[in-house]
Amino acid sequence: MLARADTFTRVAAGWLAFIAALAIVGPVLPLPDFAEADFEAMGVGVFSPGHLLGTDSNGYDLLANVIAGSRLSLLIAVVSVGIGGALGAAIGIASAYRRGRADYVVNTAFNIVLAIPNLVLGLALVAVLATTADPSIPVAPARRVVVLIVSLTIVIVPILGRIARGATLSWTSREFVVAAKTMGMKDLDIIRRHIVPNVLPAIYAVGVLAVGVVIVAEGALSLLGVGITEGTSWGAMISRVRGEIEYTPHAMIVPVVALALTVIACNQVGDYLRSRLDLRESRL
Amino acid sequence: MAGGGTAHMRGGADAVLEARNVVVEFKAGGGRKVHAVSNVSFDVLRGETLAIVGESGCGKTTLGKAVLQVPPPTSGEVVFEGRDLTRLGTDELREARTAIQMIFQDPISSLDPRMTVKQLVEEPLWIWQRGDEAARAARVNALLENVGLDPALVLDRRSYEFSGGQCQRISIARSLALEPRMLICDEPVSALDVSIQAQILNLLQDMKDRFGLTMIFISHDLAVVKAVSNRIMVMYLGKVCEVGTPDAIYARPAHHYTSALINSVPVPDPTRARATIPLQGEPPSPLAPPSGCRFRTRCPAATELCTQQEPQLREVGPGQFVACHHPRG
Amino acid sequence: MTALLALRDVSVAFDTPRGSLQAVRSVDLDVPAGESVGVVGESGSGKTVLCRGAMGLLTTSNAHRTGSVVFDGHDLSVAPRDVVREQFGTGMSMIFQDPMTALNPVRRIGAQVSEALRVRLGMGKADAMARSAELLRLVRIPDPTEMLRKFPYQLSGGMRQRVMIAMAIACRPKLLFADEPTTALDVTVQAQILELLRDLRRELGMSMVLITHDLGVVAGNTDRVAVMYAGEVVEQAPTRALFARMRMPYTEALLNSIPKVDQPSGQKLQVIEGRLPDPVNRPSGCGFADRCPYVQPKCRAEHPPLAADPDGHLYRCWYPLGGAR
Repeated sequence: MLARADTFTRVAAGWLAFIAALAIVGPVLPLPDFAEADFEAMGVGVFSPGHLLGTDSNGYDLLANVIAGSRLSLLIAVVSVGIGGALGAAIGIASAYRRGRADYVVNTAFNIVLAIPNLVLGLALVAVLATTADPSIPVAPARRVVVLIVSLTIVIVPILGRIARGATLSWTSREFVVAAKTMGMKDLDIIRRHIVPNVLPAIYAVGVLAVGVVIVAEGALSLLGVGITEGTSWGAMISRVRGEIEYTPHAMIVPVVALALTVIACNQVGDYLRSRLDLRESRL
Repeated sequence: MAGGGTAHMRGGADAVLEARNVVVEFKAGGGRKVHAVSNVSFDVLRGETLAIVGESGCGKTTLGKAVLQVPPPTSGEVVFEGRDLTRLGTDELREARTAIQMIFQDPISSLDPRMTVKQLVEEPLWIWQRGDEAARAARVNALLENVGLDPALVLDRRSYEFSGGQCQRISIARSLALEPRMLICDEPVSALDVSIQAQILNLLQDMKDRFGLTMIFISHDLAVVKAVSNRIMVMYLGKVCEVGTPDAIYARPAHHYTSALINSVPVPDPTRARATIPLQGEPPSPLAPPSGCRFRTRCPAATELCTQQEPQLREVGPGQFVACHHPRG
Repeated sequence: MTALLALRDVSVAFDTPRGSLQAVRSVDLDVPAGESVGVVGESGSGKTVLCRGAMGLLTTSNAHRTGSVVFDGHDLSVAPRDVVREQFGTGMSMIFQDPMTALNPVRRIGAQVSEALRVRLGMGKADAMARSAELLRLVRIPDPTEMLRKFPYQLSGGMRQRVMIAMAIACRPKLLFADEPTTALDVTVQAQILELLRDLRRELGMSMVLITHDLGVVAGNTDRVAVMYAGEVVEQAPTRALFARMRMPYTEALLNSIPKVDQPSGQKLQVIEGRLPDPVNRPSGCGFADRCPYVQPKCRAEHPPLAADPDGHLYRCWYPLGGAR
């Protein structure tokens, strides 16, 4: 699939694979514990002994934190996009195939949700879902993560749902769908065998782009204090070192760079996938 | 010109398909309706090829699709081998459709670009579970050979690797998989090059002869239609103008529209120059068809009567029927 | 008398992953002033590429045109691009097969027609609109002032084609390329448009190159015909002479495979077997050899050059119909 990619895209894909690998094998790497502060090396810069990327002003190793953080950031992003994409695609395909009133309702619903800026929507959902009856009891970290995933999933559903709907509208107007009906095929089978395989590639491409969007969204929400507060994600890291930017700027730069590179890589690969699909479309 | 009238129906046990008073209307927003097909009746006898001819907007494609109930007509009945398709339930209709298959105009768009030729031609057999895998594979090979394609060369390839003519052959092979008794061909050669058209038309004729098919052939091209049909039905703006045998219609067209249509076809002979063009203006909108005879706005013989009363089909010659108050000749 | 447009040894090749695709090979064509020349061929014959190449519209980096294109005395093949562009609209103009894609769907008809007048002739807005209405009247559109305000989607195919013709003749070009102008239209509308083109040519003294696959269309609308096959001109003659005394087996086969309104019904159509030769790896010998009912060994071995009858009828065949070379 990457056979015809240019160098930039290959590098981007390589970066994504690298980050994913690090996230998975992170715990077994010979690095300091991300939650353990090294009091003898607080605020040291990159390439310091024992701390490849340095530490923040509290002594937490930045490399270990970036890797640990990647796990949560990627998990949230991939799960939200995965579930949101599947749900959105299912709704979009079904409504576009049926057309009529149901399609009108679904389309309007999508448009309404899309009209709300991602971050505002995420913020509102987290606020609603993450509060407990007694405000003095802090929310458990696991619940925070789940709430975050649910909120971002809801944001993603109309984004990918719209793509799926548009693609389905265009494919159902082709004659091979009418042909399938005249052969006596059941609607569900037509969707399964003919519509979904043709619509899916468009979803993948935008899905990869969406992963980048969600990583940034999670970062922003964490920065605002409603994302991950305990444990670590890239957003949480950035949020934590906010105040020290004057003294230990590298503590902010490291996670920001990691996040930025990953999002750029997602954009590049997603864009490449999209252009490959367009090529195939134009051949038809 | 009218749609009304069933004078041209022949009835009897030999009629494979009888469509009566078919109306197809689409909503166009703002309470308006597109009158695509307005009260059309026709029948097709066993082994016959009925050609439905007309220009774009006359409703011929809509009519063809209405026979197969995709989508079903707004009103009217379509009786195929004794069963009214408009009254069948979903599953019965699905099953009934296996006896009537359709070939479409755009050869490439009628094949799913993600499937291989083998999967495409096998699909109807798979849907209805006709035979096990080996039996189906053998049948696919036989079907491809029937249409002049070498299975070894095409089975694993996809539609975009083939030319228009070859795609149409694949389409034909697929449509014959379920051994239908009737084939509806919707402009099957319009998108093909001239020299390929002849190949595909001959192929359709071969298949018809070999498998004893009854055919409905929809086209805007009068010359093509003459070569393949036994009976011709001319449509204009959702109504039937004239019905008859090719020889009668081409030699002595009784309807003014039919005559204009025939005279508009460019003849490849420079010595036969045409003095005036046969037909001026554009067809009226199907949202607001003219009262009475729908052709009256462009007809050289229109009178007050044509505005008020819709003509019904009546016989004007052996087997020739026309819907006109003042037919030619 | 020098021709208005003279193509000499024009070839067009495209770079493809498989190699160089020879779309047009060594074509000579003359279009005399005031005459209509038909270029007939099927898809893959190179007729569209030839005309776009002649007009200088093949600007992608993978297209290579060689040969000379002399229009109205100017050699366009060596002229810089802005000189060539000067000719568009005022010297040469083109109408296309699909009027829907040739018209901008989000601009009104009036704006599109007047654009050519304003850009090319420097007319002011009001003048250009008035002239646009006149042009629409010239192409027989009913109610031209009303039409100026409409959008393309509100028009039928025939109307859109008339608008495109109006745009093309706005600056009174000397030569009009018509690339399959009626293929997408109904047959009665086709007759109207062809008559319109005939009348316009007479009124404006315009030459025309009519590209089509339909021999019926060339028969009634051209003075000369060039038949193309596999990138080459294989027969060229005045229209009447071509139909009266065909020399090329291909032209004869093409004519025979067309269903005709006056042939007896129920007859099987004559078919041209086989397929076009591969444009990347052209075979030696005649490109029609594998499909020709009169093929001889020499046809496969040697590529026939263009030969001429005493009356100027050109053909490319070792064993032409009607007698020896």
